[in-house]
Amino acid sequence: MITADQLVKHFGSLCAVNGVSFQIRRGECFGLLGPNGAGKSTTIHMLIGLTIPDRGRVEVAGASPSLAATRRMIGAAPQTLSLYEELTARENLTFFGRLFGLSGATLRQRVEWALDLADLQSRSRHRVSTYSGGMKRRLNIAIALIHNPQVLLLDEPTVGVDPQSRNYIFETIERLKSDGLTILYTTHYMEEAQRLCDRLAIMDQGQVLAEGSVPDLLQQYGGKKVVTAQVCERPSALLLPGTIHNDQLRFETTQPVEDLARLIDQGASFHSIQIAEPDLECVFLALTGKSLRD
Amino acid sequence: MNVLTLALKDLKLILRDKLGAFFILGFPVLMGVFFGLVMGGSPGSGGGTMKVAIVDQDQSPWSEKLIDELRKNPHIDIEFDELPAARNSVPLGRRVAVVVIPPDFGQSAGILWEPQPEIQVGLDPSRGAESAMLEGYLMQASGALIADRFRQPTQFVPHIERIREDLQAGIPDSAALQLLDEFLGQVTEMIDSADRWQQADEAAGDNQAFDMQFANIKRHDISQDEDPASPRAQLKKLRSRWDISFPQGMMWGILGCVAGFAGSIAREDARGTLVRLRAAPLTKWEILLGKALACLLACCLVIGLLTTIGTFLGMRGDDYGKLFVAALAVSLAFVGIMMTMSVLGRTEESVNGSGWAINMVMAMLGGGMIPAMFMPGFLQALSGFSPVFWAIRLIEGAIWRQFTWSEMLVPIGILLAVGGAGVVVGTSILMRRYR
Repeated sequence: MITADQLVKHFGSLCAVNGVSFQIRRGECFGLLGPNGAGKSTTIHMLIGLTIPDRGRVEVAGASPSLAATRRMIGAAPQTLSLYEELTARENLTFFGRLFGLSGATLRQRVEWALDLADLQSRSRHRVSTYSGGMKRRLNIAIALIHNPQVLLLDEPTVGVDPQSRNYIFETIERLKSDGLTILYTTHYMEEAQRLCDRLAIMDQGQVLAEGSVPDLLQQYGGKKVVTAQVCERPSALLLPGTIHNDQLRFETTQPVEDLARLIDQGASFHSIQIAEPDLECVFLALTGKSLRD
Repeated sequence: MNVLTLALKDLKLILRDKLGAFFILGFPVLMGVFFGLVMGGSPGSGGGTMKVAIVDQDQSPWSEKLIDELRKNPHIDIEFDELPAARNSVPLGRRVAVVVIPPDFGQSAGILWEPQPEIQVGLDPSRGAESAMLEGYLMQASGALIADRFRQPTQFVPHIERIREDLQAGIPDSAALQLLDEFLGQVTEMIDSADRWQQADEAAGDNQAFDMQFANIKRHDISQDEDPASPRAQLKKLRSRWDISFPQGMMWGILGCVAGFAGSIAREDARGTLVRLRAAPLTKWEILLGKALACLLACCLVIGLLTTIGTFLGMRGDDYGKLFVAALAVSLAFVGIMMTMSVLGRTEESVNGSGWAINMVMAMLGGGMIPAMFMPGFLQALSGFSPVFWAIRLIEGAIWRQFTWSEMLVPIGILLAVGGAGVVVGTSILMRRYR
């Protein structure tokens, strides 16, 4: 459905995107995970046709996004809240619906649908300037969907959102995903990517460092599981793996349960045991040598 | 269709912004009314008195009576003067007219069957409304003389007897004599009836008896010696104080539109809505045309609104067809200026700041604050460089300067050239910026 092939974009001397390639299948939720400044938004802008790549090729449904017909298939929710605050939610939706060629009963129907989706029916006639951050984020997504696009591009859709609204957005995206919508989701929150995305591309400094499903990435780059245990008793002759500090044992392993069982058999006992699975943070750390939140 | 949708959205946005709406609609009206009130002494304001010079060449009780009647009128301020000085004061605009009461005025003034003495009124025809009013007041005063004659009907008897004698002596034909005798008998009867009418009116408490108005007023145009291009000659075309103040007010509204819409592109960029517009199936040209159309409609709306309010207060357009064309040309010019202003900065604040700074300079030079004709010579020489000057001139041309279509061509051409240049500069920079 979406093809990005060797995209390169410079802004002056800054190389914002450097050889980015990926493909997104129809009905898939694909994530671009990376820190701020990784080149995610520039990539999205090239996918919408707002930014022309210096090199490389972009196709959405087999056509260039600079064509009006292609743009009608794309719904984009930019990272910056792109709303007219002096207008109401209904007026915003109606305006953008018209720009995408909707009119009459179809437009009215889609506006009602979008208001339901964003849970804004009760506030639909209030000016957007009176909305909370979460309501604005929901409306931002609803506007992207007003014309019933085949592809939804969400650029950091949960920035500055309270937990309740964030959860509502997650549920909405999951619903859209189950309806078969193709979604490109950029974020620097690994939990979001892990929860929502079928496949991911991890980006840093304008490049895709790794691409694959979450389990594949974890398996490939996530490293070992980390066991942390508070030691109660242990025979003096027992050699413990890893490091021990103030009776707290920490070691990495691919088989934590087996290793702990072996230690208990050898006479060790523990007050508490904690096994940490590797996550995308670990993947990012392994790929870049720095934390995603740096 | 998309362009109209974009334009209507922008109009809605600017009208929802209370401060923006005030600068576009409220402020210009206040300016128009304020300057109109400041110019309260201007001709044709309707509320004041008109200064009229009187040259009494008769000096009889009847000329005194006529002057007394005029003096009773609260709308006339009488000043006595010698004929040359009185005559000069009219083209200079110090007086509305000069009224010359001829010698022997008292001999026949107010006597119906005598030829009425010729009252000469020297005036400036460009002050048509005031001239007509003065003529009416003179008629009314002359009517009072007739009524005064009828208040003493017996004074006519010697006149009638003398005429009878003359007739009897000069006309030997007895049939004709009989006819004339019958006619004069009827005149006597008319006088009697007038006397009865007067008594009846006096009984009813009305001292305006027999209010018949009749005078021989001859008008003379004494404005010919003046250069028609001079500011004074131009000002004489004014019919109302609002004729100057409302075109100025219109300009302030248009400048408000220019500043408001110039900042809107930067505002859309900062708020992210420009990204969404550009992601929509629209061309960049459509987006820019939407802005231009919104500004054009707002400018026309401002001119329409101020024309309506001005007309309600007393402004009278000389030719509303020309005013429509002027409004369109001015709006198009300032749409172009808006497009250039919109690229003066990257942020809304910088665009607004620089936009208003340029607006103020254009307004000061162009007569938006003080009418250009009242400015010092060196400033007047510079005013031609300001589009505001040409815009005001064009609007005034349609309201009171009585421009012909060919006279309108120069300001229209200059304004369209300025607007076209503005569109080219603004759109080319915007296109490059958002490539």
